Amino acid sequence: MISAQKAFAQYIDLYKDSVGHVSVSPMLTALNRSALAALEKAVQTFRHDPMGVADVSAPEMFAPDYGVNILGVRLPVDAASSFRCGVPRLNSLLAVVANDGYYPTQNTASDLPEGLTVCSLRDVPADISVRVSEALSRNLADGGPACALNSLFLHDGVLVYARRGVKVDKAIQIVNITSVAMPVLNIRRVVVIAEDDADIKVLLCDHSQAAGVQTLDSEVVTVEVGDGARVELYDIEETLPQSRRYWQLFGRQASRSHLSVGSFALHGGRSRNEYRIDVEGDYARTELSGLSICAADRIVDNDVRLTHAGSHCTSRQLFKNALFENSKGGFAGKIVVKHGAMFTDAEQTNRNIVDGEMARMITAPQLEIYCDEVKCSHGATTGQLDERAMFYMQARGIPADEARRMLTQAFMVDVIDSITFEVLRQRLHVLVEKRLSGTAAGCDTCATACHSDLQEPV
Amino acid sequence: MSETLLKVTDLRAGIEGKEILRGINLTIRPGEVHAIMGPNGSGKSTLSGVLAGDPRFTVTGGSADFHGVDLLALSPEDRSHEGLFLSFQYPVEIPGVTMVNFMRAAVNAKRKYFNEEPMSAADFLKLMRQKRAVVELDNKLASRSVNEGFSGGEKKRNEIFQMAVLEPRLSILDETDSGLDIDALRIVAGGVNKLRSDRNATIVITHYQRLLDYIKPDFVHILYKGRIVYSGGPELALELEEKGYDWIKQQVDQNSLSEK
Repeated sequence: MISAQKAFAQYIDLYKDSVGHVSVSPMLTALNRSALAALEKAVQTFRHDPMGVADVSAPEMFAPDYGVNILGVRLPVDAASSFRCGVPRLNSLLAVVANDGYYPTQNTASDLPEGLTVCSLRDVPADISVRVSEALSRNLADGGPACALNSLFLHDGVLVYARRGVKVDKAIQIVNITSVAMPVLNIRRVVVIAEDDADIKVLLCDHSQAAGVQTLDSEVVTVEVGDGARVELYDIEETLPQSRRYWQLFGRQASRSHLSVGSFALHGGRSRNEYRIDVEGDYARTELSGLSICAADRIVDNDVRLTHAGSHCTSRQLFKNALFENSKGGFAGKIVVKHGAMFTDAEQTNRNIVDGEMARMITAPQLEIYCDEVKCSHGATTGQLDERAMFYMQARGIPADEARRMLTQAFMVDVIDSITFEVLRQRLHVLVEKRLSGTAAGCDTCATACHSDLQEPV
Repeated sequence: MSETLLKVTDLRAGIEGKEILRGINLTIRPGEVHAIMGPNGSGKSTLSGVLAGDPRFTVTGGSADFHGVDLLALSPEDRSHEGLFLSFQYPVEIPGVTMVNFMRAAVNAKRKYFNEEPMSAADFLKLMRQKRAVVELDNKLASRSVNEGFSGGEKKRNEIFQMAVLEPRLSILDETDSGLDIDALRIVAGGVNKLRSDRNATIVITHYQRLLDYIKPDFVHILYKGRIVYSGGPELALELEEKGYDWIKQQVDQNSLSEK
């Protein structure tokens, strides 16, 4: 196993050599500066997680010699040609992040509803810059080396900011496209802030056109949900076998807030997804769900730490993985109930199908409870497809492959049905069916329909 | 009628190395109804499972010719396409797969096997409606997951409904009467009778004579210790009901003793 020091040294050297060469905004430059010490410390204190999948630990993921766009050069990308989607449009408020650069489209550049800001992190409005700046640096100390590195090189990113009481029906869709011809580390950041009583939906879609090139996307998503506010955040991964992704979600919830996160790993290479949710207020609700369908050498490792500090809060977690061929899955889920988090009601479920001789699943559900008056449960099951059901279907003439596909889809149904955003739920049923029927990866298989008549980036 | 639908010759099969079927011989012609009776553990369900291709069982010898096709060489799905239907003793619950999707997949797989286009949505719904009527199956069950939360009677009716849709040449009803009250039994048996024709045949596997009051067999076979030890007409079932299986057991066990 490679050490964190060794893996990250190249980036620290690179930053030190280039410091001062680029300054895109004072806020981001300040973040870059403070990230150096954080990264050096995180690297020193890094410990391999025995419950994680070793192949996607931070040192393993960042060790290869990736190029970094340290000067913040905007690489020419034909974003519009990226999408060829035949499914009806989602009718979202769309923004595109091509590699690491933010490109609004017509409806995010000028057609936003009152009270909603969607912009580059370079152009944060002055009146909210303090708030955003705090959010950006909040997890520098505890986000590990990946988050510190992301902060070190961050020079663009997306801000979604809903002011008090603003309710937006349309989803704000951020499409990340990796389109490079050489091994590159893309630094991406999304900051979602919902002020008190705001209500928004954010859809993140990862795509890649970098066929045959190993790339790493470092994606940090910060979500802050104010008093009585509601945020739904969905993440769909549709990339390529050579794609690597280190995804980190940092969530904070105030009283009576509702945060719902759904993560759908359909296609890709190696992915590490970390969820760090702090429920600070009282009477809040948190829903985390995720599914992955893995074949070939795919790895998806989900690592959840949900901390209940407020009282009377509810959380539900449901993660399902279907692993075929040589794929590997990981789930390490920890619920921490702090002293004083009275009447917490927390549930965590992880279910897996391992249907391949070389497929592997590591699961580690954990509870850490420091409060008496709570209701917490966790459960994990790992097994194969039901052989009796297989035979029953075959006996009715359904070929084995199709029976397997139908049973896998059935296994995933409750994760998809947990999506409250109805249009997306319907699309995901289609998307998962397509994924299981072996339709090749690419934008044309993505049911989120961000393209069909995509406005040109402006 | 001289045409043979199924000819089973010296069929031997077992599970986990233990031999259960020890040389089954059985010939079935179109239009016939055969009842297979026998005490617990005699191999009745093994026989139905082996014919349908249940992977739990291993065939160790013998053959099964199904209208000229080597049945034992086919996958379970191809046996179904060729016209074999097994009504399960314990229909399997499949959470998350709706009845309608399940049936559509089954119908279209069969059509594909015969190089036909998938059925149109309208034709499929019409077919479902027609066939549901055979066993008075509630329309509401179509949107539910396969067998999930179905009552015992609904599960068995659902089996006969599937049989009606797939129009098999040979149906094996494995203890279709178990777990049924008298009304459900009448509906299920009525469904089976409606589907009878001089082109298809039925094997009824049962413990009791009761079902045979509703589905009249042409032949009754008694299975004991993995062999058909006695065959006769419908009157044999009545005799069994009256005397139980003991006289058969005694006779067979004595014969096997004297053989030794």
